[in-house]
Amino acid sequence: MGDDGIFEELKQSVIDQDEEKVLATVDKALAAGVDARKVIDDGLLPGLDVIGEQFECEEIFLPELMQAALAFQSAMAVLEPKIRESGGEGPKKGRIVLGTVKGDLHSIGKNILRLLFETSGYEVWDLGIDVDLFKFIDKAKEVDADIIAMSALLTTTLIGQKDVIDALGEQGLRDKYRVMVGGGATTEEWAQKIGADGWAPSAYEAVTLAARLVGAQAGSAA
Amino acid sequence: MIDLIEVFDRAETGPLTSETDYYMKRYVPKLAEVIARYGIKWDKQTIVNTDDELTDNVFSAAVDLLAEAGAYCPETNRVMEFTRDEILTACAQAPTSATFGEGRERKAMRGRRPDTTDDRPWVHVGGGIYTTDEQVFVDTVEKMASFSIVDSVSVPSILHIRGKDARVRSPQEVLATIKTVRLAREGILRSGRVGLPIINGISAASQPASMFAATYPDFGLRPSDGFLIDFLSEMVVGYEALQKVAFYNTIGANIGSTSTPLFGGYAGGAEGVAVTATCYMIMGNLIMRGTYHYNAPLHSKLHLSSTKPLIWAIALSNAAVGRNMGYPMVNLPYLGGGSGTKQYHYEMACYMLAVVTSGGNVFSGHPAMAVQPDSLVPDDHRFHAEIGLAAARLTRAEAEPICQKLFPLFGDKLKEPDKGLTFQEVYDPRTKRIVNADYQRVMDEVREELAGMGLEVPVS
Repeated sequence: MGDDGIFEELKQSVIDQDEEKVLATVDKALAAGVDARKVIDDGLLPGLDVIGEQFECEEIFLPELMQAALAFQSAMAVLEPKIRESGGEGPKKGRIVLGTVKGDLHSIGKNILRLLFETSGYEVWDLGIDVDLFKFIDKAKEVDADIIAMSALLTTTLIGQKDVIDALGEQGLRDKYRVMVGGGATTEEWAQKIGADGWAPSAYEAVTLAARLVGAQAGSAA
Repeated sequence: MIDLIEVFDRAETGPLTSETDYYMKRYVPKLAEVIARYGIKWDKQTIVNTDDELTDNVFSAAVDLLAEAGAYCPETNRVMEFTRDEILTACAQAPTSATFGEGRERKAMRGRRPDTTDDRPWVHVGGGIYTTDEQVFVDTVEKMASFSIVDSVSVPSILHIRGKDARVRSPQEVLATIKTVRLAREGILRSGRVGLPIINGISAASQPASMFAATYPDFGLRPSDGFLIDFLSEMVVGYEALQKVAFYNTIGANIGSTSTPLFGGYAGGAEGVAVTATCYMIMGNLIMRGTYHYNAPLHSKLHLSSTKPLIWAIALSNAAVGRNMGYPMVNLPYLGGGSGTKQYHYEMACYMLAVVTSGGNVFSGHPAMAVQPDSLVPDDHRFHAEIGLAAARLTRAEAEPICQKLFPLFGDKLKEPDKGLTFQEVYDPRTKRIVNADYQRVMDEVREELAGMGLEVPVS
């Protein structure tokens, strides 16, 4: 079997959300001498792209997305040490600190977003729900985040997104991180009003937005 | 039925597990298992199910789901487990009516069976839409309460204190909640129906303390109103919810167990939502000690409930509980179109035809995607209540072909719905009469179209 065959097999194992098959195929690829980074870039990530599209088209739902993500994460636990051993860096597209703002206990939308970020190649620190504004800022500092992403479902908790942006400003950190907001109660107008860098109406579109923001961040840092 | 303290204890004594493991090792696989076990399948076309074997299978699947997956308490990280016998006993002992209101407005909401065409369902109108102004708030409530067909109201939201929106969990939030209730009672009083019940949650209240404060006798909420207690995430029973159960149960108030299973979330697609929504009604009685259920399934991306698979699932869950439990139900329709638009009315008619013929009571719709401040237009809600009462004279089999005619009129618009009107754009601020001729024309045209499809909607 040529490389194309093994990549197709890797891709299909992710699409099938079959963790055992994913791990077995990763082992097979490594045993055949395929570079760990290529296993990810040419095998696993294309599979995750299909999973993302199926999720967007409602062919699959959150449980299937989670299964695929868990399978991917298990594979990464095997592959990342290999990449480090060979002196390479992880294939991460960017670092994202994510959470639902203070006072808001809703998690599903945020959890979907975490999975889509992870399966799109981002490193994600999920702070959970009801997150204090300093937790966002401290974690962003600690992990040198590219993006702070905040969710709010309720009209009454929207203000928590503004609080974080204002606090970043007061601490002189506003330009250090890109800030994106979303969630049921948010709108593009709200995002503009509070000075966020971006807003997305759905988790899937948030991934596209993140890519744009990380690109912009890299551009402004250059 | 097992007693309430025993229910609370289950949150402390069940198996210890993480939330992720609860979902991935219990709820998600068990849901898939019970769906397969009972052969539950949506054919991607039907809107109103008429197959009673499928209906009863959905109920059995919901019982199995609760017995095998349990509910999850995040504060203790434990699974609240119940035996099949405990669940079935609770179902058999569930309330079949809930009495709301005071004086001549005191009435009973009853659990309905599908295809019952000779009863009058409970009529509830309104929604927690944000209002910018206290006068608009009071006028909105007064207008809704003044419609004689209305049995209860949901009141809008007013969050500001001295011009600033109250921050969640702040002392201002407690004051905003009290203000909301006092203004709502004032609006109801002005309608001449002082005993009319309020049966929604007060949107300003994010925490039990705010709701408890509003229950102080001078402020206006009373046990004969309805108090919503919701499941947060899928199958999650949090301590805040159980605190409310403890309080409202102790004062003998009507509890509306409330659930929002998400299409596209952990519940998956149409089949999963139908089973999970039914399971919530069972849990609402057993765990929340509800006297009625507030069923509000929602699309996780579109934030509305008027897609074809969702209407199928919502109606089916009503029929499952209506045939097997008799627990009174209302269903909160989140609709795409804005107030006063044809899209909004079509969506409402389709939803109402499906759920009312399946055993639900009548609840007017809430504009969701096209929602904007002050967009609760009371005459929309009267029209929708009239549609609901007209639907109650039909069977599911009679409703299905009308739903099939209605769905193409709005289905393609759900992703980008028509924008609607505000209270101020429809009414004369002094007389509260409709002054927007286009608004009235649209409603009249839809009434005629519905008659043409076989649903005569008399003006109340």
